[in-house]
Amino acid sequence: MNKTYFFLIVIVVLLGAGALFIPEERFTEELPPDQLFLKMNDPSRFVTTDQVARAIIDGDPNILIVDTRSADQYEAFNLPGSVNIPLEELIDSTGNIDERWEDYLGIEGMYIAFYSNGDVCADQAWVLCTRLGINDLFVMRGGLNRWVETILKPSPPEQTAPGEEFALYDFRKGASMYFGGGGAIEVEEQSAVPVTPVRKKKKQVISGGC
Amino acid sequence: MGPLIANGYIDPAWNNVIALLVGIAFGYILEASGFSSSRKLAGVFYGYDFVVLRVFMTAVMVAMVGLVYFNYMGWIDLSQIFILPTYMTSVIVGGVIMGLGFVMGGFCPGTSFTGVAVGKLDALFFSIGLYLGIFIFSLAFPWLEKIYYGGDLGPITLMESLGISRGLFTFLFVLATLGAFWVASMVKKRVKDIEI
Repeated sequence: MNKTYFFLIVIVVLLGAGALFIPEERFTEELPPDQLFLKMNDPSRFVTTDQVARAIIDGDPNILIVDTRSADQYEAFNLPGSVNIPLEELIDSTGNIDERWEDYLGIEGMYIAFYSNGDVCADQAWVLCTRLGINDLFVMRGGLNRWVETILKPSPPEQTAPGEEFALYDFRKGASMYFGGGGAIEVEEQSAVPVTPVRKKKKQVISGGC
Repeated sequence: MGPLIANGYIDPAWNNVIALLVGIAFGYILEASGFSSSRKLAGVFYGYDFVVLRVFMTAVMVAMVGLVYFNYMGWIDLSQIFILPTYMTSVIVGGVIMGLGFVMGGFCPGTSFTGVAVGKLDALFFSIGLYLGIFIFSLAFPWLEKIYYGGDLGPITLMESLGISRGLFTFLFVLATLGAFWVASMVKKRVKDIEI
């Protein structure tokens, strides 16, 4: 027998035998823990309330604001244009993103900002989704508590503060007017705004043959 | 990641361009393997030349092993691959007719075009017959519809119907293919060589 044939036969048998030990399930795309850790420590995963407010006012179509609190709390108050994905219902029993949210999360070119009352729920949602390989996720630092402090009830800066802070304060006053009617202490109840999700392109069934 | 078109990595508009390129490559490989000669092709039935068996079984074997590994690495999702539905009746009837045509004409549809491309007259006549056959089949389709769609098993695969795992089937197929090559070489030794 030709030497080349012999080698080819050995290679093909070895590869075939290797197929015996390959698990049927696909190689998972979960983010490895070390990389997750690096990402968690990256401060750029936070956005400020000002950035979120600006995005809402500008009507930025690339940002999806996700409320990770329960549905009751969402009904009581939410940011305009936000989507309610309660943290408890984010993951289904199989450990993947629940089917209901698949159309919202992981859309290419879409930035997602999670918020909750504080940082905790939003952070947890961020970790879960990042671990499942979804990119472009952010957490609104300070949550709604911070939102009320900075956007709805902004306090004026010190007289000696730098000009940027006054500019920021001006913006916040404007935003406060936009969101709450101007320094309103009682926050108006806002009804949930229906959001039309950008449907992810369904995987096409390939047709044809030889 | 893959299939590339279904997952949006390549625009579906490229379908025909890719088909053309793959077709050219396929034709080139057929011709390079000597498939444009009807004697070589018919040889598999008479036992003096098994190049058809060797080329096609090697292609299937390599593709099969490759897909299993690619699937594991996440480069292609086998659950998204189009699997031709199996119609048992038409597969058997069509297989017999195709086999008869193959041994009589010395070509299968693809190789007849390779033959035409290199200027074989018998291939030219074969492909004219091929189109005639397609024409007659299209006209007779209302009568043949029952046979055509008979024994519908859906997009079933061998490992599903045998109830064994993908890896085991791949390994058995590799062994069976190598066994077939060995048997073919035994048969070829006993049959007198003819001038091709």
